[in-house]
Amino acid sequence: MFLLHEYDIFWAFLIISSLVPILAFWISGVLAPVREGPEKLSSYESGIEPMGDAWLQFRIRYYMFALVFVVFDVETVFLYPWAMSFDVLGVSVFIEAFIFVLILIGGSVYAWRKGALEWS
Amino acid sequence: MDLPGPIHDILVVFIGSVLVLGGLGVVLLTNPIYSAFSLGLVLICISLFYISLNSYFVAAAQLLIYVGAINVLILFAVMFMNGSEYSNDSYLRTIRDGVTSLICTTILFSLMATISDTSWYGILWTTRSNQIIEQELTNNVQQIGIHLATDFFLPFELISIILLVSLIGAITMARQ
Repeated sequence: MFLLHEYDIFWAFLIISSLVPILAFWISGVLAPVREGPEKLSSYESGIEPMGDAWLQFRIRYYMFALVFVVFDVETVFLYPWAMSFDVLGVSVFIEAFIFVLILIGGSVYAWRKGALEWS
Repeated sequence: MDLPGPIHDILVVFIGSVLVLGGLGVVLLTNPIYSAFSLGLVLICISLFYISLNSYFVAAAQLLIYVGAINVLILFAVMFMNGSEYSNDSYLRTIRDGVTSLICTTILFSLMATISDTSWYGILWTTRSNQIIEQELTNNVQQIGIHLATDFFLPFELISIILLVSLIGAITMARQ
């Protein structure tokens, strides 16, 4: 019904899946009663009085994860064309890609042992 | 892509205008987190341009690397800054602003003149003449994969060693 006719089901899926959250929020916004008071407007902290500041300091651990992610993202970019042409290539290419991934798993183990993946 | 003519033009104009607005947002917004997200929008629009030009691998690589890795790193670097350091100056025009805008508009107009004067069809037809007919059956990305695995097998393995070295170097420097 739209252009690119073999993607009809995809466009229908995209439209419906965009409409569902919009309708969900809009209907509940229309139907819900609004009764505001000072208790309701304060922020929620598991039932107790909110204490402290809402802004936390950004920790270095978040940056370490982004750094490790960048290197493995570049690895993914190189694995993507190999995966697309996997069925026309032979076993030897599979071994080559296995060596590629193995070297980078070595790097991942290094990052793990050096504590770059510690969360707390 | 084999879209009909006017639809392709409308798509290009739409993505181009979103890109220009995003670029203006990167430069002119005062909150640095907003401008970092606007940079992400610009990089996504560039990726959509690559899709409309039949370069599916470059589009995917652009999304993965530029938006997924580099933009995230820029966002994290922006978040290290404190909120009280946002600049509050109004539009004070200095000499530096005038020189920069003059240089940028000169580059813009020279690029517009050069692109419309170059004969792109001459370059395209000379590179298309040495393609084998059997390559039309495989996808764009599949051809890249085949060449990467057979002709360029040794650089493929050396790339993994480069990535390993960069990972070790980055972790060593970031731990200090």
